[in-house]
Amino acid sequence: MRRFAVGLLVLLVLACGGERGGASNDLLVVGYDREPDTMNRFSTHILEDIQGCVIEGLTITDEHMNVVPLLASEVPTLENGGVVLRPDGGMDVTWKLRPGIRWHDGVPFTSADIRFTVEAINSPDYNPESTDGFDRIEAVETPDSLTAIVRYREVYAPYALQFVRGALPRHVLEGRDIDAAQDYNRNPLGTGPYRVAEWKTGEHILLERVPGYWQGDSLPAIRRILFRFVANTTTRINQLRGGEVHVTALVPWDKYREVRTIPGLSIHRMTGNSYEHVTLNQRSVPAFRDRRVRRALTHAIDRELIVRTILDSLAPVIHGPIQPVSWAFTDSVTRYAFDPARARALLEEAGWHDADGDGVREQDGKALAFTMITQAGFAVRENVSQALQRMWRDVGVDVAIRLVDGTSISGLWFEGRFDAMLHWWHMPADPELTLFFAKDRIPPHGRNINYVEDDSLTRLLYASDRTVDQARRRALLVAAQQRIAELAVEIPLYNVTRLDAVPEALEGFTGNPTNAGIFWNVHRWRIR
Amino acid sequence: MLTTVLRRVGQGVPVMLLVSVLVFALLHAAPGGPLAVYLENPGVRPEDIERLRRALGLDQSLPTQYARWLAAFVQGDWGFSLSDGRPVATRMLERLPATLELAGASLVVALLAAVPAGIAAAVRRGRWFDRAAGVLALAGVSLPVFWFGLVLQLTIAIGLGWLPSSGRSAAFGGGLADRVSHLVLPAIVLAAVHAAAWSRYLRASMIGVLSRRFITAAAARGIPRGRILLRHALRNAAGPLLAVVILDAALVVSGAVVTESVFAWPGLGALFTEALSRRDYPVLMAFLMVTSVAVITLNLAADLAHRALDPRLRG
Repeated sequence: MRRFAVGLLVLLVLACGGERGGASNDLLVVGYDREPDTMNRFSTHILEDIQGCVIEGLTITDEHMNVVPLLASEVPTLENGGVVLRPDGGMDVTWKLRPGIRWHDGVPFTSADIRFTVEAINSPDYNPESTDGFDRIEAVETPDSLTAIVRYREVYAPYALQFVRGALPRHVLEGRDIDAAQDYNRNPLGTGPYRVAEWKTGEHILLERVPGYWQGDSLPAIRRILFRFVANTTTRINQLRGGEVHVTALVPWDKYREVRTIPGLSIHRMTGNSYEHVTLNQRSVPAFRDRRVRRALTHAIDRELIVRTILDSLAPVIHGPIQPVSWAFTDSVTRYAFDPARARALLEEAGWHDADGDGVREQDGKALAFTMITQAGFAVRENVSQALQRMWRDVGVDVAIRLVDGTSISGLWFEGRFDAMLHWWHMPADPELTLFFAKDRIPPHGRNINYVEDDSLTRLLYASDRTVDQARRRALLVAAQQRIAELAVEIPLYNVTRLDAVPEALEGFTGNPTNAGIFWNVHRWRIR
Repeated sequence: MLTTVLRRVGQGVPVMLLVSVLVFALLHAAPGGPLAVYLENPGVRPEDIERLRRALGLDQSLPTQYARWLAAFVQGDWGFSLSDGRPVATRMLERLPATLELAGASLVVALLAAVPAGIAAAVRRGRWFDRAAGVLALAGVSLPVFWFGLVLQLTIAIGLGWLPSSGRSAAFGGGLADRVSHLVLPAIVLAAVHAAAWSRYLRASMIGVLSRRFITAAAARGIPRGRILLRHALRNAAGPLLAVVILDAALVVSGAVVTESVFAWPGLGALFTEALSRRDYPVLMAFLMVTSVAVITLNLAADLAHRALDPRLRG
């Protein structure tokens, strides 16, 4: 017994500190919040951070949210002749592929892979996550191995992002059931700087450098990247602190102060492409159908105070759904400053008076009261919802707060079963707003869960979807943003700033506000 | 003996059916569903949601879904995970070793702590050791598992740097020493509750046995004290404890849900947490059915073990 105990102790001592090496060009360890469901970029429903290191798109969105070419030699536009609007209302997009690109197994990457991908996604035999855009393609022509002409039935404005997820390798997947092709789905063939060396279920995915990467023989500089799956946020921060992981994306705001003090680590702050806001469900709360009430609710909130106190000034106040990182952003919209007196006046004007003196306004015997749902488990969000409750109470509106777990809340909003909701949208890299605000896009046909039904807004949005020229499209989207603000459809609060923790010695890191994720330029990363 | 076993198994079948209906109904009553994760992504169109709903068979009525699940399950077909499309049985089997490793280690740790503590507390009843053990046991039972786990991580793993904070092995280690070092903290956390309860349990039954006449008689015959405690008293007091330990073994597996999450331990508990957040019904059903079978089986095993140790129960 005693010998056993001594043996155990020796083993422990030997094991200590075995994996606390700092980040190096040999190994970078990433603390990742969840295990991917699949490595197939078209099937996965979570961020494509790991997949993107292996599989490259024809284009990618860079850190400024510009669409830049990757496997394509240029982004097709009207100006360079890559996009042609047909008289029949359709459009042709000609993709020129970069010459000399090979899949990791040495087989050339060609336009036939593009055609195969479109056909596979449109086939009823495969269930990708999204068929957005693909379902509008009628044919792909491949005049030569480096040219793919994609023929759309109608004008599709976000065409430049159509192949952002790359392509499926035809020579591996042709004639197969892709949903069940576990060899590919667990270890996909790509053209990127890394390939999957090991996937240890529940523990980690190890990526290793592919020799002869097309962007340069010396790239990428980091030989291996290990993604460790650590679901618990506190544990992930603890691993960062203990040096067991070197990189963690999307550090929660309430951990900012704690993480900032860890030596050797730097926190990269970046304006995000998402925004926190309060959705006002006009279908379930009749009072929200009155614009004066919506404006009053917005005037009642001191957003600057919330940002300064609860958010540690990490997130800037915003006034609309398109974020400052986007080319379609405008800040010339109606703003609703903190003005409780104005809020009270608007409510009086709308016929809401506190006749019985209980502090809550009523109309025809009905109190001005609603329930706001928000996701449980976010300390910041719980605090913000309490602040909102207090501020609304000050102008005579009675709000109850209900905390709901993440999976349940999606079900609730998708069915419109709520009064108001404090939440954020992750906006797509393409600045489309139709899905969120067009009057025919209420659930289950879209995400218009304010149930706003405005004809002029809907017309602007659909027009913007059918406009390829970026300057003209921007003008339409600016008008749409102004209309949304004028109507006070929802209550925008603040930008969801990204906080990514990386080693101080890491060079080449830029971050990325879109779902391209922080690893979008991983081949340029280097440890000093 | 055989008839007892057969009778108990026969009773287990309707219980299992009832459990499966209840669990199925409960899981589907919770708002949100397997498609909820897709809803957060603006690239997934409502048309895509409809297509996926049909592809996953979620457009059928609940009784139909249940009947299809049951028919397949009893034939050994556990279905496919809704999140990664792999067979449920594969997903569970690849997680089983990690859970057994953690459960086994924590059982050993709990027994190593509970048995000496229980005996010593009984022998020194009412003295300082007994009182200290009582306070510690109360703490062990009351500490929230996730909190205790995080405190150990902060102090032992990060403050002192003695052990890794989480995970099952180092990325490129995987040797015995590395594995053991990863196992220590989660095993202690998982063991704490049981060690506390078991030590009190053993103390009580030891006190009962030590006051019996045959112990006095043994002492009168000059048998050494240590031998009386271990050979005579412990043997008699161990029967009830064994039954409790076997019953708790099922709880060790289910209690690991929290521990595995805090320590990023790749076992069944972590799989359950993940499946729950995605409403991965086939995985959840399989997990809950396996857990139920384990509880029923261990109950039977506890009964049989108790009988084997106590001749008075063999009728």
